[in-house]
Amino acid sequence: MTQLDTRLPAQIRTLSDLHAYLDAALRLEHATIPPYLTALYSLHPGANSDAQHVIRVVVVEEMLHLTLVANVMNAVGLTVDLTPDDFVPNYPAHLPSGEVDFLVDVQPFSFRAVTTFLNIERPAKAPSEEARLLPCPDLGAGTVLAASPLDPSVRYYSIGEFYEEIDRGLRYLDAQFRLEGRELFVGNASHQVTPEYFYSGGGEALAVVDLNTALRALTVIAEQGEGMGGGIYDGEGELSHYYRFEQIQLARYYQKGDIPGRPSGPRLDVDFDAVYPVAVNAELADYPPGSPVLEAAQRFNQTYHDFLVFLTEAYNGRPDLLLEAVPWMFRLRDDINQLIRNPHPTREGVNASPVYERVPIDRGETS
Amino acid sequence: MSTDAFVTFSAEVTGFTEFDLHGTGQARSYYDTVVKVVGRQNLDDLLHRYFDEVTELLDEQKRAKQLDESVFDDPRLGAVAKNVIKLWYSGTWFDLSPEWTATYGIPGTEGTFTASPQAYAQGLLWFAVGTSPPGARAPGYGSWADPPRIPELPASPVPRSLQR
Repeated sequence: MTQLDTRLPAQIRTLSDLHAYLDAALRLEHATIPPYLTALYSLHPGANSDAQHVIRVVVVEEMLHLTLVANVMNAVGLTVDLTPDDFVPNYPAHLPSGEVDFLVDVQPFSFRAVTTFLNIERPAKAPSEEARLLPCPDLGAGTVLAASPLDPSVRYYSIGEFYEEIDRGLRYLDAQFRLEGRELFVGNASHQVTPEYFYSGGGEALAVVDLNTALRALTVIAEQGEGMGGGIYDGEGELSHYYRFEQIQLARYYQKGDIPGRPSGPRLDVDFDAVYPVAVNAELADYPPGSPVLEAAQRFNQTYHDFLVFLTEAYNGRPDLLLEAVPWMFRLRDDINQLIRNPHPTREGVNASPVYERVPIDRGETS
Repeated sequence: MSTDAFVTFSAEVTGFTEFDLHGTGQARSYYDTVVKVVGRQNLDDLLHRYFDEVTELLDEQKRAKQLDESVFDDPRLGAVAKNVIKLWYSGTWFDLSPEWTATYGIPGTEGTFTASPQAYAQGLLWFAVGTSPPGARAPGYGSWADPPRIPELPASPVPRSLQR
């Protein structure tokens, strides 16, 4: 046995276990996108350019993470599916990684919203091996998924620990397969999303072909999110998401050499008033029948769902389709902007919000 | 009168919906622009004329004719109404004619100017032809290979808030 295996025990013991975890990872990476996008576009154009830049960089990197998880799934011959009815979380939602101390809302940009973003991206390493997995209480409504995809009664200490588990599982399975004279990485290489299909998107889309590249892909995800081993920068020298967001709350940029919590760079000016007061966790049912806002929200919701169907096809052997995804995302941006600038049809002082609702896969029945 | 009344009138004269107009994020800025240049009284008179003499008519032809007679053919209000259309389409307020200025006076800003930093990118002309403004509101690499997405016209010239 190699030295790597001393990092066991892993919860992941079979390919089907790995599938469950990677599927949860896919949901996790996606779950942050609606909240980040909504906060981003709630900013008044022309104001808050610093905050706008910070959130935009992060959301683009989340899209890269989604793609990297898809690449890992493809590499081990699994199917990537962004279309299940429950793929889009029911906001307010707990994260699919299993953290239970905060809920994620789809909400306008605010100090509170940034606090949620910091919770999502927090660089939390479990204090001990025993503390990685914690008991998971019954969360009731708003729960997205079981914390551990294999055991709903336990959850992970942080997203970092959740990915650490996938890391261990991949090492374990790869070693196990080799012992049995089998190959874990049997996926079709032409399904990999490589840089020529991934336009300028928050880092390089790594092709995953073996254990090393799979672990590298996971490392990029973990480091961009939470930093590397307690540092504020990732392996590429880029500030990690947690510290990017923290700059907004501390109203100052980090610079090289800074320690966590003490940014010493230029001031970052934030105007929490230059924000459209969009409805929090809007649902289609919030908008009156026949109202143009309802029609636009339905249209957006459908387009968003169609986009996930499109990505699913792209991730399952048509990476070239991702080139068309770029104009599609800009149209989604324009549609969100249009909704956010309209007054809410029934609530004084509140603006309309895009709705990211689960759409049944048989769309003949929805309006 | 209110920004909402201004948007309702604007919807009828531009051919876009009130939702589309709010969606540009420019409603308040354009309202303020018109007030700043021609004064609140001239804008209020324009909107009152529209709500008093046009909005009750449901027949499309009669409505269009009345809009001409009540608003566009009026030497004082017509010039302002036409400028409101141009403002929505281009984001630019065009200088009123010297005759208009000499006759009615200008309480506020003179000259031709862009209403706000976002006004150019939000001009209805770009939406009308289904494209994005050069240099702004990027449509995504390679999107120019696709046909323009021209929005549907509203089914009725009557703004939504006036229907039923």
